[in-house]
Amino acid sequence: MKPISFILLILGVPLALMLLYVFLKGSMGLRKYILTRIALTLPMVFILASLVFFIMRVLPGDPVRSALGPRGTAEQAEHMRQALGLDKPLLVQYGIFLKDMVTFNFGNSMVGGHRPIIDEMSERFPATLELIIPSSIVALVIGIWGGTWAAARRKTIVDYSLRLYSVIIYSLPIFWFGLMLQLLFGIRFKLLPVAGRIDPVIRTTLQPVTNLYMIDSILSGNWPALASALSHLVLPTITLGLVLSGVFVRITRINVIETLQADYIAAARARGIRERVVVYGHALKNAMIPVITLIGLQVAILLAGAVLTETIFNWPGMGGYLVQRISARDYTAVQSVIAMFALLVALISLLVDLIYSLLDPRVRY
Amino acid sequence: MKNKLQMILAALIVAVMVLTACQPKPAEKVTITIGVTDQIASLDSADAYATHDWELLKNIGEGLLVWKPGSASELIPGIAQDMPTVSEDGLTYTFKLKPGIKFADGLELTAPMYAQQLNRLLTIGPSCPNDVADALAIPYVESITAPDDSTLVFKLKVPIAYFPQILASAPYLPSHPDKFPVDQCVLFPEAPIYGVGPWYISQYTQNEQLVLEPNPYYQGIRKPQVDQIIIRYFSDPQTMALAVQNGEIDIAWRFLDPELIDQLRGVEGLTVGDIEGGFIRYLIINHTMPPMDDPNVVKAFASLIDRDAIVDTVYKGAATLLYSMNPPGFLGATDAFDTMYKAPDVAAANAYLAASGYDENNKCAIELWYPPDHYGAATAAWVELIKQQLEAANFKVELKAQEWSTYVTALTGGESYQVGVLGWFYDYPDPSNYLDPFVYNGGMGTNVTVPAEGSPYGQPINEKAQQLVDLLAQADVETDLDARTELYRQAQDVYADLVVTLPIIILSEHITYRSNIHGSPEYGSVETLNIATNLEFNYSMLTKTP
Repeated sequence: MKPISFILLILGVPLALMLLYVFLKGSMGLRKYILTRIALTLPMVFILASLVFFIMRVLPGDPVRSALGPRGTAEQAEHMRQALGLDKPLLVQYGIFLKDMVTFNFGNSMVGGHRPIIDEMSERFPATLELIIPSSIVALVIGIWGGTWAAARRKTIVDYSLRLYSVIIYSLPIFWFGLMLQLLFGIRFKLLPVAGRIDPVIRTTLQPVTNLYMIDSILSGNWPALASALSHLVLPTITLGLVLSGVFVRITRINVIETLQADYIAAARARGIRERVVVYGHALKNAMIPVITLIGLQVAILLAGAVLTETIFNWPGMGGYLVQRISARDYTAVQSVIAMFALLVALISLLVDLIYSLLDPRVRY
Repeated sequence: MKNKLQMILAALIVAVMVLTACQPKPAEKVTITIGVTDQIASLDSADAYATHDWELLKNIGEGLLVWKPGSASELIPGIAQDMPTVSEDGLTYTFKLKPGIKFADGLELTAPMYAQQLNRLLTIGPSCPNDVADALAIPYVESITAPDDSTLVFKLKVPIAYFPQILASAPYLPSHPDKFPVDQCVLFPEAPIYGVGPWYISQYTQNEQLVLEPNPYYQGIRKPQVDQIIIRYFSDPQTMALAVQNGEIDIAWRFLDPELIDQLRGVEGLTVGDIEGGFIRYLIINHTMPPMDDPNVVKAFASLIDRDAIVDTVYKGAATLLYSMNPPGFLGATDAFDTMYKAPDVAAANAYLAASGYDENNKCAIELWYPPDHYGAATAAWVELIKQQLEAANFKVELKAQEWSTYVTALTGGESYQVGVLGWFYDYPDPSNYLDPFVYNGGMGTNVTVPAEGSPYGQPINEKAQQLVDLLAQADVETDLDARTELYRQAQDVYADLVVTLPIIILSEHITYRSNIHGSPEYGSVETLNIATNLEFNYSMLTKTP
C-alpha cells in the first residue's frame, strides 16, 4: 500500500465514522445538510480542477520546452509532446483528464523523471501533514490560551501585551521570522537543526511505512529517529504556528470578552464560582464557535504558509512541490495537487460544520 | 481527572526518554553528507542528461575510459585494459576489458553483456524522456558489438576526433541488466542500484536524500575512503548554506549564490574551494530578427561589453572573463572577441551604428531578455550593467524578464527574442561542444543557419556563416591535433566576426566544506576536494577526520 493511501485511510476512516455517527444521530435537517455538502464538494473539486486544467494551458510556457531546455531539438520536443499526449486536441486532453480524475488516476509527472504523481504525493504529502498538524496545535494552544488570558485581564498590561503580540506576529513575514529562528537557535546557540525532517544518517535506519517520520519511528521503535524527527520539527512548527497564532489570539479575546458580559456569566460569578472556572469552563466554551469557524478558514492559509516554511527549512512537502511544478508547467502535477488541496479544504470545512452541531445544540441546519 | 491526565503525560515523556537512552545507536559509520540544490532527473544511463545525474552515475559506474581524478585533460583507461585500438579510417574503436570487473552485487561484467547494455542507448535511448542518445550516440555510433567475452568494438558512422571524450561520458557506462532491461527506460529503479564503479546506491528518497555505499568488488583507482556518502537535496541555497555552517551537512556543493559564498568565506571552520568551471554565460543573438540581422549592430553590441565590470561588480572576482565560446584551456582556445573588438570601445560602437544610420537622435532600440528564476539572482544585476554599457553608446535598451518555462519556449521555438541570456556546460570537454550547437541547424535560436532536410548542419544564411560551418565540420573529423587546433582558431575568428553569440563569463564553481573533510593529495587540488574544471566530483577522494 502506498504511504498516501495509508494516511488517507488513517484520516479518512475516523472521519467517515464520525460522519456516520452524526448522520445517524443527527436531526433530519443535519442529515440533509451533510448530504448537500457532500454533493456540493464533488462539483467544487471538479470545477476547480477544470479551471486549473484550462488556466495552465492558457498560460505562456510549455512543459516540453521547459524540460528539454535550450538544447532540445524540434524532433525531441515533438517526440516528448506525443509521449505526454500534448499533441492531442485540447478537448480530447480534457476528456482524458476527466476520465483519469474519476478513476483517481493522477497520471505521471510531465517533467523531471516523469514519475507517477501518486508516488511523488506519497513522499510529499506526509511531510506537509507532519508540519501543519503540530503547527496548527501550536497556533491554537497559544492563540486560544493567549486570547482567553487577555480577555480575562482586559485593559491590563497582559491584555495590551498580547494584543501587541498578535499584531506583530501576524504581520511578520514567515521567511524572515524563520531565518531569524534558524540563525538564533541553529547557528548561534547550536541547539536545533535548521534543515530537513530528520538527521540524514538516522534516516538510513528508518523504514518508512506512512512517511510520517514520527509515526514510523514509533511503529518501528526507533527512538533516536523519533528524537531526531521531533528536534527537526521544532523550528518550522514554531515559525508557522506562532505566525498563525496572532489571528487566533485576537478572535478568541474578542469573543471571550463578549461572552464574559453575558448574564449567565454574571450569575455564575454571583454563585461564587471561581473566576478561573468562569473564564475557562463557561465563557471559553461558549466563545469557541467563531474560533472553530476561523480554524476552517485558516486551513487554506496554513497550506499557503507551509509553502514558505517548507522552503526555508528544506522541508520536502507539497508546498515546495507545487511551486516547483507551476514553474515547470507540469500540468498533471499541478492539477493533482490543487485537486488534493481542494478536497482537503472541503473536508475540513465539512468537519468544522459537524463540530458546530456537537458543540452547540442550538445550531440547527 | 486532570491529575490523571498529567500523570499519563508525564509517564509517556519519561518512557520516551528512557527508551531513547536505551536504544542502541546505529553502527558508527564514517559518513560524509553532501548538500546539493539539484534534483535527480534520471538514473538510467541510457537517458540521463543532467549534470547531477551524471555525477551520481559516474560514481556508481566506471566506463571504458575515465578522466583521471583531479584532471580535466587526461583520459585514462577505466574498465578497459588500455586505450583503444583505432582503425586507420578512424571508424572502428576496439577495447579489451580488464578481467574480473564486477557489479556491487557480484555479477561479473562481460563484453557481450556490456554491448547489450550499450545497445539500449541506440535502440530505446531516443524514446527515453531526456533523450541523451540523440545528442551523444545516434549521430556518431553505427554499431556496438562484442566478438568475444572481453572485446568490445565500436563502429562509427563518420570519423570523430573527440570520440574518446564522448566515451568517457555517462551514457557509455555499463548498467546492471537486472535493473535496466534492454527494451525499457527505467529512470528510477528501486534501490539498491549497482554499477561497476566505486559506489552503489543503497537507498534513495526523491528530493530528500540518496545513500551511497562502497562496491566491495571495485578494483580501480577510485577506492572509497569512507563507509557512506549521503547526498542531501535542498530546495533553497540559503538553507544549504546554513546547514553547512551548522554542521548538518559536511559539504555544500552546487549551487550557492555569489553572496552566500562571500558570507561563507568568513565563517570559521569552513573552507571554500574555487573551481574554474566550464559553466559559461553568454548572450544569444537572433540573426534574423531586426535590428540584430544587421552586422553593424551586432558588432557595435560586441564592442561595448565590459566583462571586467561584470566580474568585479557582480561576482566580486569569482568569475573569469570569456572572450570566445571555446573557453580557455580547451583545444585551440583564443581571445577572438577581445582581439577583434577591444571592448569597451564606445567610439567604435558608435561608428558601427552610424554606418547603419543610428545616432544620438535615432538610437538603436533593442530588447534584452533574461530569465530571473533560472541562472541565479546575479543575472538581473549583470544584465542591468550590460544595459548601462550599451546605453553609453547609441543604443536604447529595454530589459525584459520572463520566467524560464516561457522564456526557453520562445527562445527555442522559433519566436526568439532579439537578444537573450543563456548558460552552457559541455557534455564532453571538446571545443566542438562549445561551438557546433550554436551554429548547426538553427544554432539553438541564433539562426545563422536554417535547419534543412537531409543536412546535418543546416543552410547557412550568408557566406561567412557558410565559411564557419565548413571550418567546424572539418574540425569535427580532423584527427591531426595541430590541424584541428588551427581549424578551431580560424573558426573562432569567423565566429567573433559574425558575433554568432556573445560570450560573457565563465562562472567559477565553489565547494564549501567543514574543516574535518579532506581531498586526496594524489590527484589535483586538495583545496577543491580534487574537483577539476570538468566538475567531476569523485566521492572516493574524500576522507573525514573526527
